[in-house]
Amino acid sequence: MIELLLAVLFLSPILGSLPVAFAWLLEPKRDWSRRLPILAVLGLFVSFLCTLYILFNFGELNLEEVHKFSFDWLPGFNISFTFIFDYLSRIMGVLTALIAFLIGVYGLEYMKHDYRLGWYWFFFNLFTASMLLVVYSDNLLMLLIGWEGLGLASWALIGHWFRDDDELSFVGIVGRKIAGLNYFWSPSLGAWRAISTIRVGDMPMFFAIAAIFFLVRNLNISEIPWSELAEKIGAAGIFLILLAFLLGPFTKSAQLPFSEWLMTAMTGPTTVSALLHSATMVAAGTYIFMRLTWYMKPWTIHSVGIEVLYVLVLFLGLISALYGASVALGCRERKVLLAASTMSSLGLMFATASAGFWVGQIAILVAFWYLVTHAFAKATLFLVAGHLIHETHDRFCVGGRELAKHLKLAFAATIIATLCLSGIPPLTAYWVKSAMDGIMHSLEHEFGFIPLSLLVLTSAVYSAFLAKFLSLNFLKGEYHVKSHGGGRLMGIAYTAMGSMLLLLLFVYLYFPEFLEFVAEGFLPSSLAVGLVVLLTYLLTLSKPTLESPIGKALGDRLYLAFLNDYVVSKIGWSLARLVDYANKAIDIFCHKAVPKAFEMSSKGIRRVQSGSIELYLRISVAVLLVLLTVAIALGVIM
Amino acid sequence: MIYLLLSLLILTFAGILSYKDYRISLILSFLLLFVSLELGGISMLICFLALLNILSLVAIRRNQISGVDYAMVGLMTIATIYSFITSDIAELLALFVVVSVPTYLIIMVDEGKLNVDTGIKYIAFMVIATVLFIIGAVVLYLGYGYQNSALYFFGLVLLLMGLALEVGIAPLHEWVPDVFANANPISVSIIASIAKFVPFIVALKILMITATELTSSALLIFAVVSAISMFAGNIGALTTQNPARILGYSTVANMGYILAAFVAITASKDLVYYAIAGALLQLFVNAFGKVGFFNAIKGGTWTASSYILSFSFIGLPPLMGFWGKFFIIYALVFSNYLWLAILLVLNSAISVPYYLRLVRVTKVNVPNMLTNTVASITAIVMFITLFPPTWFVDLVAEVFK
Repeated sequence: MIELLLAVLFLSPILGSLPVAFAWLLEPKRDWSRRLPILAVLGLFVSFLCTLYILFNFGELNLEEVHKFSFDWLPGFNISFTFIFDYLSRIMGVLTALIAFLIGVYGLEYMKHDYRLGWYWFFFNLFTASMLLVVYSDNLLMLLIGWEGLGLASWALIGHWFRDDDELSFVGIVGRKIAGLNYFWSPSLGAWRAISTIRVGDMPMFFAIAAIFFLVRNLNISEIPWSELAEKIGAAGIFLILLAFLLGPFTKSAQLPFSEWLMTAMTGPTTVSALLHSATMVAAGTYIFMRLTWYMKPWTIHSVGIEVLYVLVLFLGLISALYGASVALGCRERKVLLAASTMSSLGLMFATASAGFWVGQIAILVAFWYLVTHAFAKATLFLVAGHLIHETHDRFCVGGRELAKHLKLAFAATIIATLCLSGIPPLTAYWVKSAMDGIMHSLEHEFGFIPLSLLVLTSAVYSAFLAKFLSLNFLKGEYHVKSHGGGRLMGIAYTAMGSMLLLLLFVYLYFPEFLEFVAEGFLPSSLAVGLVVLLTYLLTLSKPTLESPIGKALGDRLYLAFLNDYVVSKIGWSLARLVDYANKAIDIFCHKAVPKAFEMSSKGIRRVQSGSIELYLRISVAVLLVLLTVAIALGVIM
Repeated sequence: MIYLLLSLLILTFAGILSYKDYRISLILSFLLLFVSLELGGISMLICFLALLNILSLVAIRRNQISGVDYAMVGLMTIATIYSFITSDIAELLALFVVVSVPTYLIIMVDEGKLNVDTGIKYIAFMVIATVLFIIGAVVLYLGYGYQNSALYFFGLVLLLMGLALEVGIAPLHEWVPDVFANANPISVSIIASIAKFVPFIVALKILMITATELTSSALLIFAVVSAISMFAGNIGALTTQNPARILGYSTVANMGYILAAFVAITASKDLVYYAIAGALLQLFVNAFGKVGFFNAIKGGTWTASSYILSFSFIGLPPLMGFWGKFFIIYALVFSNYLWLAILLVLNSAISVPYYLRLVRVTKVNVPNMLTNTVASITAIVMFITLFPPTWFVDLVAEVFK
């Protein structure tokens, strides 16, 4: 029974996508093959039903209830396919499958006229299945399968428009150069940047997993004895292993300084951006961190190594959050703005979850529910952005009231999503953000007010750019609609997605589990933060643009692209040059030096051969004398 | 002993009769070899080698001592076989001389003019070698008897010097390339093959008889000399074009390999057997290979035969050359001379280019039938180790009990 459930869960998206994939291989762009994606979406829907079944049918949904199912894989190594159904994975699974399904529905219309539907749907569904595997797996080696599937599919999808022939799919102003460096990115380049950055983090992660296996002979996250491990290898050892492991999540979740790939991942279709930025890929990084912290229970382990690591994650997260929010504030491109905001949210998730080291499990819960809230809101905004790009044929924020009237659903969904995500009382994110404020506040004893002030600053900037997105696209500006109709399916999809935020609001206020969140929300300090957020929201709504050099620098992402495109490539080239020199040295050594040395010594040996018997005898006598001296010396010593 | 006297008589008879017709001597010498067959496996191989030597001498039958040369090879063969049997030090030294002296004559013979220049060079070194060897052996024995370490080492070094000069171990190898290049190839093939056994066997037996606790430290000198010889031979051959000269350097290298086996003689009994088996196999490889190649130089052979001989010299399994080196390396590794084993492997690698060149430079379009036959037989002999030659180790264990 359980085998069947798991098989259907993971295979139905992939099987559903196969018809269109094969049809496209055989006869691309035929009418009948353009109808096949509906099967792919059906596969996603079946998968979604399975996750719902898992959510409701494995006991009560509480923090303690854990169900694990193991299937032999490498029994000799104590490695098995272990699936875990616990609080985190059951909710995360539904979230992933639901968002993937809704985006799939949207994609049916959005990608209707695309030239590579087989490729698109196969990798879209592989992406979803991989994420589900990451979500439900307890075994790190099995998790790696999903992890690698995410990497592969993200490369394939970001570079989906591999012909680089549509200016709409680029990131940055085409033709722009800064200090000799191209400051715009094509889809194929974006795909390359994504996969290359991710690999940088994956490699240490593999080694960390190997090290963990070597040390404890167990790869099930819920069973690894962390405190024993920490004792066994000391503070520096556990710090290094965990840091190496977390480099995987850091790169996947685009924390500083690995954020650039996420910005240029916007070269993919908008549906891909939506999926990538809400429930898969980037969320996988934070999700793994939460899961690790959940079972490691670092608040019970006294290890300096682990503490240093959590301090690192906390501040890395907060600084990434502030950086992302500021960049989003300066950004004029619809999708890049949202991408930067995602980075910011991921930073907050990392920071909040890492606070668990000091405040316990509640921090992970807050981070997790922030992930859920953010996923729906961000997916909604991306889908709206996609519709806007479709409608206006422009990837920069342009629009006006005329557009708002024309796209009423989009307008409404944007209002709901921005309001709910920015943390304005009493809407959805407010309650989570309040709890976050509370957690950062409780770190006062360790770090003073630094975490809290960073968080409040980030929240204020965050709400400002959300308001900017709303204002520039629907309120301010003169844009005249040249309508070509359609968009109903897309509208339905993002409306459904946006309404999930209201459902969440209901969940937060209705269920007693969230009492702590709500209680935090009624504190005067939280209300004050909420008011600040509301203020910046309203302020930016009325004045969305401000020309300033700082804003321009922020819009250029503080020139962090130079790190990726200049510094790293210089390092790469110098490595290549080094290898080239080594290569040449080996060549010279093997093909010149060694043969020459042999030739010289050979000729030297042969030079003795003069034919003169006198010389030969002299040599013999000399050797005889030397050997006799040695012999006598030996004889005296012995 | 009675066999030896009998065969000496027959050989004298053969030598005398050969003035009438060289074929009488040929037939008698052949017959003599069959008489010696009764003495066991290694003797059979020696006899077979001698048979090939005598057969190849037929290629230069119009020489100055035609007929006597067969008897001389027969004499050397009898002495070689006898050296395996006896362990009396005086007899061993006598055998050393018996094998050495006939080569003085053989090296000079040629089809045209007598090769006096080369002969003098060769004889001068051989005389010194014999003197050093015999004095060395006697002093060594004295040192052993009186338990005097200075005498012992003195004798050991003299013995080693004598051996080195006699067979051509670097750094006393200077006569080898000159003599090999200037004498008649068939004459050289005899001093490069059958004449190489006795010096080693005698030296080995004397060393084993006089082994004390000092021997193992003295063996370091042997190891160093053997390493020098390997490198000098192989590197010297690398840039040489003249095939006879290449074979000269190849001899120097091979003598180095064989000397390396001496290093293991103070190890446990099993290892000693492996070391001696390796040394003997390497001697056979060297002997058969030299006979084959010098015949190829004289009248040519098929390329396939030269390739097999070259591969055997390089040490490719399952040819005899592989097993010779393998046993030596095995003995070296387990008697704590890993570095020498590594040098040996390295030297095998260095030797690859010139052995392959040797095939090219000895190539002829229409090979002479006699030389081709001899060379091809030597190539076939390289395959007697097609199955791992543990039987050879057993034979050695029986002889060197």
